[in-house]
Amino acid sequence: MTNWVIKGLRTGVKSTRYPRAEETAAGCSPGLPAATRLPSDLAEMIVARCPTGALERSLEGVDVDLRRCVHCFRCTRGSNCTVDWSGGYDWAGFATERTGAFGPPFGRSLHILVVDTGDCGACLSEVKQLNNPYYNMHRLGFFLTPTPRHADVLLVVGALTEQMRLPLRKAYDAMPTPKRVVAAGACALSGGVFGRSFICSGGVGEFLPVDVEVPGNPPPPLAILHGLMVVAGRKPPASLYRRVENSSADEPR
Amino acid sequence: MPMPFVLAATLLTCGAGIVLSLVLDDSRIPALLGCLGAIASLLLLVLSGASLFTGTSFHETLWTIPQLGALTLSLDRLSALFLFISGLVLLPASVFASGNLFRYLGKYSLRTYCILYFALFATLVLIPISADALSFLMLWESMSILIYLLVNYEHEEKEHTRAGYIMLAIGEAGTIAVALAFITLARNGSLEFAAMKAAGIGLGEEARWSVFLLAFFGFGVKAGLVPVNFWLPQAYTSAPGSFVPVLAGATLNLGIYGIVRVNGYLLPALTPGPGLVALIIGSVTAILGILYATTQSDLKTLLAHSSIENAGIITAALGAGFVFVALKHYPLAAIAFAAALYQMLNHSIYKTLLFCATGTVDSHTGTRNIDRLGGLIKVMPLTAGFFLVGALSIAALPPFNGFDSEWLTLQTMLQSAELASTGIKIVFAICGAILALTAALSVTCFVKAFAMSFLGMSRSEAAAQAERAPRVATVPMGFLALLCFLLGIAPTYVIPILDGPIAPIAQAARAADALVPPFFAGNPHHNELPAAFVADFHAIGAQVGQSVMPARGLIVMHRGGAANPVVFAMSTFYTAVVLALMLLGTYVVFRLIISSSRAVDRRVVWDGGIRRLLPEMTYTGTGFSNPVRVIFEAVFRPTMVEDTSETVGKHFRAAIRRTRGENHVLDRLILDPISDAALQAANGFARMHHGFLNAYAVYGLAALLVALLVARFA
Ligand code: SF4
Repeated sequence: MTNWVIKGLRTGVKSTRYPRAEETAAGCSPGLPAATRLPSDLAEMIVARCPTGALERSLEGVDVDLRRCVHCFRCTRGSNCTVDWSGGYDWAGFATERTGAFGPPFGRSLHILVVDTGDCGACLSEVKQLNNPYYNMHRLGFFLTPTPRHADVLLVVGALTEQMRLPLRKAYDAMPTPKRVVAAGACALSGGVFGRSFICSGGVGEFLPVDVEVPGNPPPPLAILHGLMVVAGRKPPASLYRRVENSSADEPR
Repeated sequence: MPMPFVLAATLLTCGAGIVLSLVLDDSRIPALLGCLGAIASLLLLVLSGASLFTGTSFHETLWTIPQLGALTLSLDRLSALFLFISGLVLLPASVFASGNLFRYLGKYSLRTYCILYFALFATLVLIPISADALSFLMLWESMSILIYLLVNYEHEEKEHTRAGYIMLAIGEAGTIAVALAFITLARNGSLEFAAMKAAGIGLGEEARWSVFLLAFFGFGVKAGLVPVNFWLPQAYTSAPGSFVPVLAGATLNLGIYGIVRVNGYLLPALTPGPGLVALIIGSVTAILGILYATTQSDLKTLLAHSSIENAGIITAALGAGFVFVALKHYPLAAIAFAAALYQMLNHSIYKTLLFCATGTVDSHTGTRNIDRLGGLIKVMPLTAGFFLVGALSIAALPPFNGFDSEWLTLQTMLQSAELASTGIKIVFAICGAILALTAALSVTCFVKAFAMSFLGMSRSEAAAQAERAPRVATVPMGFLALLCFLLGIAPTYVIPILDGPIAPIAQAARAADALVPPFFAGNPHHNELPAAFVADFHAIGAQVGQSVMPARGLIVMHRGGAANPVVFAMSTFYTAVVLALMLLGTYVVFRLIISSSRAVDRRVVWDGGIRRLLPEMTYTGTGFSNPVRVIFEAVFRPTMVEDTSETVGKHFRAAIRRTRGENHVLDRLILDPISDAALQAANGFARMHHGFLNAYAVYGLAALLVALLVARFA
């Protein structure tokens, strides 16, 4: 007999300690651009560098719409002027005017149907990580299900292509209420690099009532996990639109 | 009214049916058949019911044929049971036929059908009450011929003719075997059953075996036992939809009747051997029947194979009874016979129901192929409901009737623990396991039969646009479905009635005493039960309902003896009550608490997100039963012949067409070798006929020489 029991015991728990503690392993998140206070000429330049229009000029610098950022790093590399870069992974937030999180009965048992609506493989690969021993989402009461009839959460990844509209609608309709939709990845949120084009509608939100959005291209597993925690009502949502804080105390109001 | 008069009235009604059908126009025939058939069946029910419930009997000698003996009619409780079942089947079947026959109007002569039907009706009535071998054989023979004519009614189809011939041939072989058995039994020259029974006592062991085997396999032809049942699926499939219920519900029973009458009553076995043969043959029949039933895609053929299965279960229980009688365990024998007869009664009812439903489906959609049906519950809800009742019954699920008898049969097998001989116990154990497997497979089979034809999407236009069944079809089915339910919840009422027919074959032991303890205080035998025993069961409610119901109790229960100290018990009545309460409770809770606050949102069915779900994409009956086909491939031995294949380039196959062949295991192992050998022998003889005159002269000379030599030296 193999001594897998002993080996297993000796190995100990290797799963991430998130959400009980912060995950600090190197490379667990690529980070995101942060809203940056910049002089207006520089801000102008940086905004022009962003391919998806995630950066916007504001009075005091550059605001970031996380839902559009595709992690191309053009705003932080290859130029002497850069935006600030924030770490972390607690990125998921509520989409505007949506139903919100689930209440307590769903908190510890959430069945998730993953629908790939035109994904390049990156987001799906991150979703797949959730089931591995490191992220191990079962310990949190999240389960993947192959049928919408059992699903509470529809997790959509990928740019919404023309061909996948009908299946997505059917899957959503087939889910019993109460149900929530989580869109993960820039493509699902805004169309990503495809934007609004002949092949892509510019985000799942225009087609289905999305409740929670997880930015990132692709979002790291922990960000998706955060999205699920948000939809389960176990973590507070983050803001998806980062503004330059109007906090400079020395300035007169 | 004295019983012979009722009998005469029944036969006269049949006669009137024949005469009137000669006079009436073809379009009137169905109504005539329905009315007179129903009247004759009611008379038959009165006649047999009087005997079955009150025990009255009659014995009439009609006339005496010189040298051959008297033709006698006699009605005892054993005959009465079979007549009663025939009546229960013929009543709805006649009404059903009157609706179903219109499809033949203008194509085949309905007059012929009606004449044959009533003639067969009369023989079905007379066979169980004929009390001598001569009249029995004459009637048996006319029944075979009438059945042949009716099966071959749609004579323009080649297959039907072929099925008819096969049936006729094997039927004749069976009759000859039965006749030989009777001749062996008629030792003191009298062909009357009573005299034969008396003569049988002194018969030697070889003669007993030969009578048993001849009668068992001779009657087994009609009952559908291995290895003489290869005619049955084809004949059932070919028979008109209005006739096949009679075939399955009434004539199959007569095969069982023959076995019970001859092997159980006239010449009960003294050794367990014959009983074991019946048990083994029955079990093999059952498993083969259900295996082939499960893989069929024609509803009628499926039901035919399932009839074989049921005949097998009945025979196995009978065989167990014979063994118990031979070993003098009479109460156990009574249980076994009760199981067999109960199973037979149930089979007649639910199989008639299922065949009626199938006939309705056939005439409304034009197909019986399960793979072409589907979704019928939407267009013919009543038919679907009744078919479901039939399917639940035959799959032996409580509270319907199949459960009672199959449960009893399996319990009978377990009772072999009481026996002394280890060898016999092993045979019982193996046969019990086979029967249990059969029961499991029959669930698979009927899940397939119901779900694939009535649920899901319609796989053909005809199935999607079928019309509702008319009342003339649904009323008989409703009647039968109700019987399925009543027989299912009232085993404690049925078993005491079955005791009448069982008593003479089980040496006067009573199944009711062994199986239905008199729990109800109103019963005169109540005091025979030990008080502690009653108190034990009082706690779990065995006496609930004792003041309102006239019975010994509502629990079927057997207490094993010293060698087998176990109690087995069940009560389908209480099961039904609990089931109803649970369903009702769930419904009420759902209505009151849950659904008052929530609206139901109906959307399209989940189809995996494809653009359009086509019927071709859904599960078919063939697909459903394929695991069984694969698991039991050793039995089925399918052959696959590749007909054509279209290829693109050299290696890419665009389309492959294959023909799948399947030779029934009995054909493969028994029929084909025999027919091959016969053909080969015939070819050998044919070589003598090459047409030279000289050669024929030599044959003649040689024959003469041989004859002379034999005459000289012999
Ligand atoms: S990293 Fe994001 S915000 Fe920066 S340029 Fe690329 S898409 Fe725009």
